[in-house]
Formats: sequence, structure tokens, C-alpha cells
Amino acid sequence: MLKYLLRRLALTIPTFLALTLVTFVAIRLVPGDPVEVRQGEHGIDPIRLAKLRHELGLDQSILHQYWDYLVQLAHGDFGTSIRTQTSVASEFFTLFPATLELALCAMLLAVIVGVPAGVFAAVKRGGPIDHGVMGISVIGYSMPIFWWGLLLIMLVSERWELTPISGRIDPIKYYFDPVTGFMLIDAWLSGQEGAVWDAAHHLILPAIVLGTIPLAVIARITRSSMLEVLSEDYVRTARAKGLSPFRVIGLHALRNALIPVVTSIGLQVGTLLAGAVLTETIFSWPGVGKWLIESINQRDYPALQGGIMLISCLVIMVNLFVDVLYGAINPRLRHGR
Amino acid sequence: MAVDALAAEPKRPGPIAEFWQSFAENRGAVVGLAVVVIIGLLAIFADIVAPHSAIEQFRDFTKLPPVWEDGGLWRFPLGTDALGRDALSRLIHGARISLFIGLMVMSVSIAMGVVLGLVAAFAGGIVDMIIMRVMDLIIAVPSLVLAILVVAVLGPSLENTIVAVTIVYMPRYVRLVRASALGEIGKDYVTAARVIGVGPIRLMFVTVLPNCLAPLIVQAALGVSDAILEAAALGFLGLGAQPPIPEWGAMLADNREFIRSNPWIVTLPGLAILITVVAVNIMGDGLRDALDPKLRRS
Repeated sequence: MLKYLLRRLALTIPTFLALTLVTFVAIRLVPGDPVEVRQGEHGIDPIRLAKLRHELGLDQSILHQYWDYLVQLAHGDFGTSIRTQTSVASEFFTLFPATLELALCAMLLAVIVGVPAGVFAAVKRGGPIDHGVMGISVIGYSMPIFWWGLLLIMLVSERWELTPISGRIDPIKYYFDPVTGFMLIDAWLSGQEGAVWDAAHHLILPAIVLGTIPLAVIARITRSSMLEVLSEDYVRTARAKGLSPFRVIGLHALRNALIPVVTSIGLQVGTLLAGAVLTETIFSWPGVGKWLIESINQRDYPALQGGIMLISCLVIMVNLFVDVLYGAINPRLRHGR
Repeated sequence: MAVDALAAEPKRPGPIAEFWQSFAENRGAVVGLAVVVIIGLLAIFADIVAPHSAIEQFRDFTKLPPVWEDGGLWRFPLGTDALGRDALSRLIHGARISLFIGLMVMSVSIAMGVVLGLVAAFAGGIVDMIIMRVMDLIIAVPSLVLAILVVAVLGPSLENTIVAVTIVYMPRYVRLVRASALGEIGKDYVTAARVIGVGPIRLMFVTVLPNCLAPLIVQAALGVSDAILEAAALGFLGLGAQPPIPEWGAMLADNREFIRSNPWIVTLPGLAILITVVAVNIMGDGLRDALDPKLRRS
């Protein structure tokens, strides 16, 4: 097991290195000079310009700049945002809990609704429930979520006035310092009456929007995996020995049917982060997705570079974790090539 | 007698008829195909079908609602946008843009996927490792984030949207082709071809490739819908097609501020994306069931 773990870890090193190369080269190729962008409309005198370029290391040779970049990364320094003059890593990790909270709630929603929907569809195979679930799931994973978000804002927030349009909490009514960065928990810790309720109100629409595609995927995978399991001998045995259908499906079948579902959840981290970019932009959710789009619009290279590095590292780590977990469950994979 | 018995045996349907038979079993897929064909025809004949030009501005008729709402005019069946451009015409021309993006991305990424995948499978060793590591790298970056990075480098435009989305979706074709080629390489017919002296290029593209096509076609159909969605997302973020190109995602973003006063302007382009993507997806599901019985869901 340890050997397997080490081998998988070693395999990620070239990926990391290549990633640094790609983000480095890509960001250098971006049109528009970050120093010129910063100087604004009025221009800047050449001496100050040269000084700025020197400060940012932009006057060094490209190889030298890359080496500097690697050394920086090795020290855990992901650069300094040109926009805010703060460390990209600290900015990222201040905003990340917001994205994580949103993504976790979206995934929770997707599992809570998707798994039972898939199970029902499989059990009532070919019936109206099955067709309904599969039809909705096709629409779900075909959904342009930026439009879906706007549509929900239009109906739920504007017409029915049930939820707020943007943000994580009402900043006028409630104020408290972030402790965990998770608004629901912070609101609860603050002890202010109604704060948790308000935070949940802000969260619900973005979570639905971000959870839509994972929900559709989970429902489909659960259904097909359940159908496979239901035709297995041990399910027939369980039925034959007179267990109630509820026990057979809920206990014997579902437990085995969930393995591919769990794997698919791990593999959807990338989908969630990509979806978060759109969802956060629509709902003005102050997470890393919205921050990334703002960075690109303001030509904040270091923020974009650091942000993409951090997001990719995260996805690589999660995928590695899923792989290792899978290897632990399934020894055939561990010893295979 | 024997001759008569042979003659009476029903003719076996050709491969296309056989394919159609199993495809048509899935009624949803046939509906999907029909919708895709209609959208395709609209896209091809956009100049003839659309009542107005996609960019002509009727300044006296801005923000008209569709004809079934109060104040709608038959002259602009689905209303007009903030600049007085006909929504229906823009949607029809938008179909051309979206399908073009989808098909371009699909064909380029398949072409590259086939070449890289076959080379990786046949060359093995270090070449295989390098190709697959690069693909792993691309997969590690969330799709939209990578597309944003590419567009940031190249600048936002329709062409660069295609480049960005192609890069994002290429790895799945490479992996697919490599995996199915590796499955074929060990088989007897490949060995036989090798023994009689078939060259490596011919071996790759003529002997092995046709046997890897079924999963590739299925993936291609689903790849078109993903590409359309991804391109629309980029357009929505302002990083895709630039105005006045009637790209559906960009149309949505352009009119976002009128979401309260004129919900139709925002609703229709999104609906167009959804209908197109759903149609392509259910058609793709039908294709998979017909071509690849092993992958048949349930």
C-alpha cells in the first residue's frame, strides 16, 4: 500500500512542474503590460516605470524569471497581487472558504436528491418515475448554469421575493468577524438572532445552481449502478430469504451500488470549481471563482497565475486522494500496471 | 430444393439500415436527431430564414416584448433587444455560431486525439509517457479555468474560443483512442498485418483505427454539446465572441441589466442553448446505444 501511495505521489511531481511551466509561460504571453495598466490614464515617468518593472522582476531574463518563480513557489509564495498588493495565497485562502462552503452545499444537495432519485428510477425501471428522472437529468446536465442562475434570480428573488439576489449575508443587519470563513458556522457562532437563517437564505439559490449538473450526473450513475447490482445473485438471495424490499434495496443493493457514485463525486471537484466561476459571478458570491474573473479583467497576472496554480494543485490532490482511496478499497488496482 | 431454400432466406440488412433500426428503437434519440437537424438547417439557411439581419438596429423599436405579450409586434416575433435588433434573427444566426463552434472543436480535437492517441499507443515508452502526462495536466485544471487562461493569453474572440475549448476537450479523445488502440494492438489481425510488412502509419490509421471508431463517434456527439456549453459560458463571461456577433452566451450577458424590465431578452438565448444541448445529448445517448451495445446504459 505504501509503495502504491509513493508511486502515485511521484507521478504527480512532473505534473506539478509542467503546471508551473504552463502557468508561467501563459501569463508572460498575455497581452498588455501590468505596469502600464497600473499607471492608469495619466502616464508615468520613465524612471518610476523602470523602478516598478525592476520591483516586479519584469526586467530580468525569462529563464531567470522562471527560476525565481520556482524558488518562490517552493517557499509557498504564490506571488503578490498587483491589484491589492497582498499575497495571492493569503487572498486565495481568505476567499476559498466561501467557495468551499458553496461547493459542499451544492454537492450535499446533489447527493441528497440525486441518489434517491436514481434509486427510485432503477427500482421502477421503465415506469413514469424512471422516464421522469432520466428526462430531468438530461436537462440538468445540459443546463447552461449561468442562464439557470439568472432565471432563478428572476423568478425566486425578483418576482416572488423569497431570497436575496447576491452576497453571503445582509451586511447591514449582521456584522461579525469571520472565524471559520464558513458563513453558516460563523453566523451561528456570532449568536445573532436570524443570522444563520439569513446566511442560509443567501446560500440556497447559488447551491441549487451549482448543484444542478452534479445532481443530474449522480442520479444517472446511481440508476445504472443500481440496475446492475439489482440483477446480482446476492440481491436475489436476499429477496429469496424473505427480506423486505426496503431492506433489500436500502441495505444490500444500495451499499454496493454507491461505490461508483462515491468515485464520481471525487472526480467532480473540477466540474464544481469550473461551475463556481460562473455561479459566483452571477450571485456576486465573494469566492475564488469571482476573484479569478476580476483578476483577468484587471490583468492582474500574479493573481491569475497563483490562483490557477492553487486551484489546479487542489484538483490534483483531490484526484490523488480519490485514486488512493480507490486503491485501498480495490486491491486489483493497486497491483495492476 | 436447396437453391430455393437459400433464395428464400431473408436478405440481411446493410450496416446502415441495421444501425438505423437500433437507433430508431430509442424514440427520444430520434426526436433529438430531428431537433438537431432543424437547428442545423436554420443555421445553414440563416440568411434566408431570418426575417431581419442579425445586426441591423431598429432604433424606434427597442426592447419590444415577444408577439404574445402586450405591445409585441408581428414584425419582431420574439421581440427586440436594447439596441433594437430582432431577437429571432439573432437567435437563428446564433445557431450558426454555436453549431460552428461545436463542430469545429469536435473535429479538431478528434483529429488531434486520433493522432496523439495512436502515436502514444504505438510508440509506447517515453513518448507515451510525455503525451499522457501532458493530457493529465490539462485534465487537472478545471475546464472553464483552463479555457479562461487560454483566452487570457490569446485575447477574447470567436476563434480563440474555439482554440481554448479544443485544448480543454482534446485529452478525452487522446485517452479514448489510446485505450482502444492498446486493446486492439495485441490482437491477431494486427500481428498478421505486421508480419506481412504493413508500415507503421498504415497499421495505425488503416488497420487499427477503424476498430476504435465506435466509442469515438459516441464521444464526439457528446463532445459537441459540451463544447457548445463551454463556448457559451465563455461568451457569457465576456471572454468569447465579441459584439456584435450574435453568440447566445454573449447575448445573454449583454442584456443582463434588463433582466427586471425585459425578462424575455435574457430568457430566449438561454433557452436556445438548453434546447440545442439537450437535443445533441439525447441524440448522443441514442448513438451510444446503437453503436456500442456494451456501453448501453441499463
